[in-house]
Amino acid sequence: MSHLPKPDASLFLASSVHDMKNSISVLQDTIRRLLAKAAPDESGEYHEMSQMLYETQRINGNLIQLLTLYKFGHDLYPFNPETQEIAEFARSAVSHVTPLLTSRQIGLEVELEDDCYWEFDTDLVNGIVVHAMNNAVQYTKDALRLQIETVDDALEIRIEDNGRGFPQHMVDDGIAAMRGVNFSTGSTGLGLYFAAVVAQMHGNRKERGSIRLENGGKLGGGCFILRLP
Amino acid sequence: MISATTFGGADIDTQLIAKSTFLVIDDFLGMRGMLSSVLRNCGANPKSIDTASNGPEAIQQLAKRRYDIVLCDFNLGAGQNGMQVLEEAKHKSLIGPSCCWIMVTAEKTVDTVMGTAEVQPDAYLIKPVTEAVLTARIAKIKAKKEAFVDIDRAISARDFLKAIRLCEERAAVDKANAIELLRIKCDLQMQSGQSDKARQTYEKILAARDVPWAQLGLARIHQQAGRHDAACQLLEQLIEQNRSYLDAYDSLAESYQALGENEKAETILDRAVALSPNSHSRQRIIGELALKTGKLDRAEKAFRKTLKLAEHSVRKTPDAYLGLARTVGAKADPQEALNVLNQMDKLFDNDEVRLRSKSVEGYVYHQNGLARQAAEAARDLASMLDRSSVRPEPLATREMAELLLVAGNRDKGLALLRTEVMNNPDDVRTVDAVQAIFRKVGLADEGSNLVETSRKEAGELMNAGILLARDGNYTDAIERMRAALERMPRNVRLLLNAAHIMLSYMERDGSQAALLRETKRNLLAANQLSPSEPRFVELMQRLEALQGR
Repeated sequence: MSHLPKPDASLFLASSVHDMKNSISVLQDTIRRLLAKAAPDESGEYHEMSQMLYETQRINGNLIQLLTLYKFGHDLYPFNPETQEIAEFARSAVSHVTPLLTSRQIGLEVELEDDCYWEFDTDLVNGIVVHAMNNAVQYTKDALRLQIETVDDALEIRIEDNGRGFPQHMVDDGIAAMRGVNFSTGSTGLGLYFAAVVAQMHGNRKERGSIRLENGGKLGGGCFILRLP
Repeated sequence: MISATTFGGADIDTQLIAKSTFLVIDDFLGMRGMLSSVLRNCGANPKSIDTASNGPEAIQQLAKRRYDIVLCDFNLGAGQNGMQVLEEAKHKSLIGPSCCWIMVTAEKTVDTVMGTAEVQPDAYLIKPVTEAVLTARIAKIKAKKEAFVDIDRAISARDFLKAIRLCEERAAVDKANAIELLRIKCDLQMQSGQSDKARQTYEKILAARDVPWAQLGLARIHQQAGRHDAACQLLEQLIEQNRSYLDAYDSLAESYQALGENEKAETILDRAVALSPNSHSRQRIIGELALKTGKLDRAEKAFRKTLKLAEHSVRKTPDAYLGLARTVGAKADPQEALNVLNQMDKLFDNDEVRLRSKSVEGYVYHQNGLARQAAEAARDLASMLDRSSVRPEPLATREMAELLLVAGNRDKGLALLRTEVMNNPDDVRTVDAVQAIFRKVGLADEGSNLVETSRKEAGELMNAGILLARDGNYTDAIERMRAALERMPRNVRLLLNAAHIMLSYMERDGSQAALLRETKRNLLAANQLSPSEPRFVELMQRLEALQGR
């Protein structure tokens, strides 16, 4: 090792994530097809496969977030807001979680403002919404809800569930509490931190984007809200 | 309110997918299998899906069969990347305008999303690709292609006014593409001497939202008008807020160079390279800048990198070879310079490259004190100039003239410089550059004299035609203008005045098909030389009115 320079993991971060994502894509696709063929029953195998799908989606989401944060830090991310038709955006985001929802028999309500177009970085926001829905699957009882509409000159994307909701301290503390690892809940805070950073990157004139957590909503559980001016 | 299951399948044109042909390009077998299965699940006929694992294979397949939709991984391992495969397919006309080329990438990078290549895919998709995303994207691209087909056609015919009208009509009904149409319209206005109108639009957009391309547009208007200080200020701010906006870096480097701030230009280009290491044109600009400032090692490195990056690209240009030859020539290695020029001559087969190659060859000999070889090259160059009417762009033409002046063919050199001045009699930079050459070769007095007489002659030739036209003698006026254009084919004012006289003649005595074509040629030539010239639009409108009659 003596002739090598000091190790620097960042050199391999991009290429490794790239490589791992190819593997995970194939894995995910295989599980999805197996699930589609298998009949949803009470058997342990079906349930285990569904859990595998959930885990691969989590890994995929985390990898993208890590790599993207690394790029933000080095000014390497090509941030490019584009006009997006909201119905199309929602359809695409939902398609990433439909197999998981179906396998867990979780219902999804979608409510969108008609004829709505908004400008944002599609890939980043799609990543947040998919990750949030994926996360909600773990905490909900049997229903999710995606609502997108304009509120006070900003686009608000709400992801709601009918689970027990967020612990009150998370709702109260806002993004200040969203950092640091919590091994007892398995949450690293990465997802919320990532969402907060991306929201901040979006802005118009004086207002910056933001995220917040609420309890209640139309389904009575946890609500994650992303606001993009 | 809609439920998830029906929601996922909405709006999908299964007919469109079922009758389409597909090519999947990916170096990874697992991904090829997965993308093919996604396509089958979307309703594609398995017999209509072909696969390729690298660039050459893909090009072979594309040559054999017409594909409606291509899914191509950006990263194809060694050799060509996805963008270069697309470039080659376009260049060889293996794909038509209706083909959807979708680039699939594992991650979003500046290079994949904002590559400065002129050839762009129709869409980028980030892995994993789902059926719903793919079908929605294909439907969207098809709709957009249909919407833009007339506009694209008008743009490639350089019919800017029509293209602008079509953009306006379309934007009124197409909400999804309204912003994109507005951006195209502003670009077209900038290209057709209507920067005032473009500025109004940019300012209107910026009053409502921070839109980077509108900010860049404002900066470019400053650049066009030579206000590089103002442009720099805007661009520095723009980059501060949009760290990955490469076009802004390139524009800023241009303005720094115009202000003589070469160090700053160098720094900003280095930052752009860190973001996007694979652009060969930017490496070439770095090389040219370094050569200009005498940093020969840096220049050589940049030019060699340019050649390496362009190795698999069909869009190579001779400039990096010429730059490299000059650089190694300046490093007192004329043999290597010659090798580089020989390599270039094998790749490019046209008069312009041959002229420039000979000119650099002679210059390198001269620079290294090889007087006999330099004189020989100058002689060859002079006879090549007699045989060909092609003249390279001004900088290269001035270089040829300099060689001819120092290496013994003085009359030819003077004639070239005379034409240069006559083409741009009012342009201070041209006149300065020409005077500088004369000073360098010890002919300062002769130079001032030539500049004066050339400018005078250019004015007289043009005025002769204008005076005749004023008296209503259009046929003689047009003859005079044609003769003047023979002497100074790139004089923008002359081109526009000639068009004006031809139009006035036809407005009085009726249109003539051949003269209409000649007028249009003159106008387009003027526009290409000087896109910011505001008279272009007014003259084009008069031409359209005559064509409509």
